[in-house]
Amino acid sequence: MWRKTCLSIILAVSVLAGQAQAAETIKLGALYNLTGGMSSIDAPALRGAKLKAQLLNEQGGVLGKQLEVIGYDTKTDQKAAATQAKKALSDGVVAGLGYGDTTFVMAAAPAFQAKGVPFVTSGATHPELPKWVGDYMFMAPFGDDDQSYAIADYTYKVLGARQVVVWTDNSMDFTKALSKFFKERFQELGGEIILEDFFMMGDKDFSAQIARLKNTSPKPDAVFISAIPNEAGLTVKQIRESGLDLPIVSGDGFDTELVTSVPGPELANDVYFSTHTYRGDDRPEVLNFIEEYNKAYGRDPENAFCPLGFDAVGLIADALERAGSTDGEALRDALANTKGYQAVTGEITYARPSGVPVKGVSIISVHDGKYNVEKVWYPEY
Amino acid sequence: MYTLSQRLVFIGLALAGGLLILLMRQFLNDYILSIAGFVGIYVILAVSLNITNGFTGLFSLGHPAFMAIGGYTCAILTFPVQRKGYFLSGLPDWLAGTELSFFPALLIGGLFAALGSLLIGLPVLRLRGHYLAVATLGVIIIVQVLITNMGGITRGPLGLNGLPTLTNLWWVYLWVLITLYLGWKLKFSSFGRSMLAIREDEMAADCLGINLLRTRVQALMVGAFLAGVAGGLWAHLVTAITPKSFSLILAFTIVVMVVVGGSGSITGSLLAAVIFSMLTEAFRPLEESLNVYGIGEIVLSLILILILIYRPIGLFGTSEPGWLSPGKRKSLSGTAGD
Repeated sequence: MWRKTCLSIILAVSVLAGQAQAAETIKLGALYNLTGGMSSIDAPALRGAKLKAQLLNEQGGVLGKQLEVIGYDTKTDQKAAATQAKKALSDGVVAGLGYGDTTFVMAAAPAFQAKGVPFVTSGATHPELPKWVGDYMFMAPFGDDDQSYAIADYTYKVLGARQVVVWTDNSMDFTKALSKFFKERFQELGGEIILEDFFMMGDKDFSAQIARLKNTSPKPDAVFISAIPNEAGLTVKQIRESGLDLPIVSGDGFDTELVTSVPGPELANDVYFSTHTYRGDDRPEVLNFIEEYNKAYGRDPENAFCPLGFDAVGLIADALERAGSTDGEALRDALANTKGYQAVTGEITYARPSGVPVKGVSIISVHDGKYNVEKVWYPEY
Repeated sequence: MYTLSQRLVFIGLALAGGLLILLMRQFLNDYILSIAGFVGIYVILAVSLNITNGFTGLFSLGHPAFMAIGGYTCAILTFPVQRKGYFLSGLPDWLAGTELSFFPALLIGGLFAALGSLLIGLPVLRLRGHYLAVATLGVIIIVQVLITNMGGITRGPLGLNGLPTLTNLWWVYLWVLITLYLGWKLKFSSFGRSMLAIREDEMAADCLGINLLRTRVQALMVGAFLAGVAGGLWAHLVTAITPKSFSLILAFTIVVMVVVGGSGSITGSLLAAVIFSMLTEAFRPLEESLNVYGIGEIVLSLILILILIYRPIGLFGTSEPGWLSPGKRKSLSGTAGD
């Protein structure tokens, strides 16, 4: 039996080692959960990332070499994230990218930090991520604090709301953080939170919360709903069906077709949310991206994580050109000096010590089931 | 009883394993070493679950919960003091000022896990039938919810990250050896025989004077202790731990290893753990070159289905290979029921 064990060890090792290193390409390790619960978010992001590499290669590549984005499937499993990070590093990638969720970045990115190889997360938005990992960690998206501040500013200054109700999905860290930052900013501006209500991911009936929303006095000027896509459509539908017509505001969890398709165009009214500057935008980068995506995959981009994956590769390629080498430290410095990079999801500049990009946040309104970009908000720094 | 030559075989195998690790650390990259680490952790998990599920016939799904208890305990104890106050505001002062080295932290983690299993075992194991499976299923969820909501101690859903990378192959190997030794000693002792007797026929075991409840609780606790230790090793290999690190899926993975290896067979669990945790990795190059992900999982499921159809007792049944079993030299032995 031991012979069998040894044999299978040798077999596995030789299969792994047999993956010979092809020369003359610049490799990027794309760590994503391509199978399992996170795959609906992560798989489109990898498609976006590969598309960017393909487009760059058609124009002659980066530093005269072809760019190769290697996808590593981490199976929605932190253990796999940790081992695949090490695998990517031993495959000789010059930078890593990946993930739409903070948990997995925290399992993978420290390995990159330890080896002095930059890691760019395409979709994880926790603003303290770079602080936890270190100076080789970069974020392509904005931080959760920025998107909350953006919508809080808009609610107070443009919608003129002074008293708001806050609903929070209490089952996720992301939604809790979003509410926390919203309340912080709104109260700072002089607004008042008159009621807080909670629900859990997967809830289908919001009648209790709606009843409390109706009976609060003074009457609220708006309701902030911190939810992910599944509950976004349902809450809008049920609030409007109950006859309430106050503005509904939220963050990028509302950046989904469900906000209009679940309630229907008559009820999807007066909804405002802050999100990545992508949906409903007509900048050339966005239109070009959607066209190329259609050409490559025969369909529209599934969600905002597609362009974010695209942008993560774009950021790294841009930094590689400016660094002039694939050396980890030079690349890190070049990334940190990124200024005004024209990404699909908005202009990216790393100017704050926190490592979170200074990046525009779109405020999108929904009227009669139509999305419209109201304004682009920029954080002060 | 073991003959002298058999003892020598065991010592030889242990030394050969050590030599293998020495060579691996010398020549292989971090990636393969971390996989080897996880293979070892799975061996600990499968063999320890075998003590509960295989020997005693208790269908426990609680391993992820015990791993979470052990992992968090160990991680909090080894967390660097200078960052503790900032990260974990809810810790009492004496704990915030403590930073243990790895081995005692692992032991304490394991003991906490065993304590947790005692709490669940005492009421539930009085019952007959599959109540334990349901109860331990609940324990996974209870532990997850507790960890999620004790924000000041565990940092809630964010989990603990930036843990020191303490786990290396030597630590894992040490615990693999301890687990195997413990499992072996248990199986071929009168205590182990009473476990097997309970599995085969509760009534008969009861009539023979075996204390059913005590033996069962002890079996559950031994398994939970080792799972707790494995959780600690896991946390310091990944260097991060969150409430969702140890899920129900993991419970099933370990159960599958025990079933495929043969419930009651230590050699079987060991081999199944090694094969299962390496197979998915072996298919990765294929998945990456074809751009189709999940082939490894499909192959594993196929193997499981085939084994359940053609060899439902698992690769080894309850036995160990004859040349390793005490008492007899050539024939397979070790079952109470044969």
